[in-house]
Amino acid sequence: MKLLVTSAADGLPARLARDLAASHEVVRTGREAATGLVVCDLGHDSATDYLVRGIDVILHWGGTDPEDSASDRLDDAAYRTYNLLRSAADAGVPRVVYLSSLSVMKGYPEEYTVTERWRPEPTTSVDDLSYHLGEYVCREFAREQRLSVVCLRLGDLVWDGEPTSSSSLLVEDAVTAVELALTSAVKDDHRWTLLPDPFDWQLYHVQSAVPGARFATATARSTMGFESVLEAE
Amino acid sequence: MKVAIYGANGAMGPHVIRALEGEHELRLSDVNDLEGSPHEYRKIDVADIDAVVDAAEGMDAIINLSVLRDHRKIAFDVSMRGCYNVMTAAVTHGVRRVINTGPHFTLAGATYERFDYDIGPDIPAQPGTNLYALTKSLGHEICRVFTRNHDVYVMGLFFYNFRPDDSQIGQDLTPYSLTWEDTGRSFASALAVDLDTLPSRWESFFVFTDLPHHKFSNEKAKRILGWQPTQDLREFWTKSS
Repeated sequence: MKLLVTSAADGLPARLARDLAASHEVVRTGREAATGLVVCDLGHDSATDYLVRGIDVILHWGGTDPEDSASDRLDDAAYRTYNLLRSAADAGVPRVVYLSSLSVMKGYPEEYTVTERWRPEPTTSVDDLSYHLGEYVCREFAREQRLSVVCLRLGDLVWDGEPTSSSSLLVEDAVTAVELALTSAVKDDHRWTLLPDPFDWQLYHVQSAVPGARFATATARSTMGFESVLEAE
Repeated sequence: MKVAIYGANGAMGPHVIRALEGEHELRLSDVNDLEGSPHEYRKIDVADIDAVVDAAEGMDAIINLSVLRDHRKIAFDVSMRGCYNVMTAAVTHGVRRVINTGPHFTLAGATYERFDYDIGPDIPAQPGTNLYALTKSLGHEICRVFTRNHDVYVMGLFFYNFRPDDSQIGQDLTPYSLTWEDTGRSFASALAVDLDTLPSRWESFFVFTDLPHHKFSNEKAKRILGWQPTQDLREFWTKSS
């Protein structure tokens, strides 16, 4: 597969680009020049159209830079996501994987069994709003433009193998989930209609199997086959 | 009541001002110049958060009429981020009453309008990817998140078509239409309603005149805001004699 990874200079996108390059052709893109990076600010222009041409799956990072202003971060979250998905829909890109955060679900009390069926309860922090608005844009492209979008709400990323919260996500598990999302498909088992499903909007909560795990990953497990490395230990 | 109006010099602004002046003290703002108004005026881009916050100081209510439909970047700046800025202003200054505006497809996009009837405002938003609809819908969603986290009320007033020109008399009309005069009066109703009587801190209203089509429903605006349209535009949806 030919993958496009946005914000690929650092953080999880950089790790994804590195690990997935072992079995896929990876195009890395970012806002600022760096070695091996295609510079693109995901603007409303032909550069974004060109960037997505021939891509099989776009891995789009929904996070925004805390150092930037609120205005810039909201722009990154919604305006640039819109540009990217508009270009993707026009170019017939088969799939977008949107990397969101379980932070949008933390408004519920910790003792609740919060699954993908619950409405997001973001705070007004720009962090939460960024992920929430990015999801909102993705959902409309999935619904109206019939774009295949897999939204992964990721737990708190852990880089050193030591969980720090009840919603921790080891980076190894994050890579596994994203790799599974490249080809995941909704099963027809529980559908109430015989008609073909015209939509491909998939939503999964993803965190590691830490003690007292806050969010269930049953849907990711049953649909994508996700299994945390901690379960094997 | 002291009322800040953002986007006061657009198509709707003059009609809203006409309906409110005399009853309320108005602080107008717009990205364009506004000359000859007796009211306080500030030239403000609603995408400028500092200016927006500053203009809400000392106000009892905020009306957001700002909109930009066609230019992709500015549409996000105005229709989405403008709402974030307005809500930040409301929370900063303790303004508890905000009236936000938009087109009907902020909520009821083509996936509703092409198929359904008696479409009311309490539906999950399906704006689709139309730039105008989606940016306004993102803005309204930002309003919802603020009301979930702060003691602030937002009434979303949604419009569609305004009185067509006389050449269309007897030829039917968009089944969600309203005169400018009745448009302005809906804002007076939204300023007058007791916030404690609203079902929640985030409420949406479809505002159009009484029409026989049953395509959309204005029942909630009449029931909760106490607003009543005065002109039913009958000449458009009946055959000319």
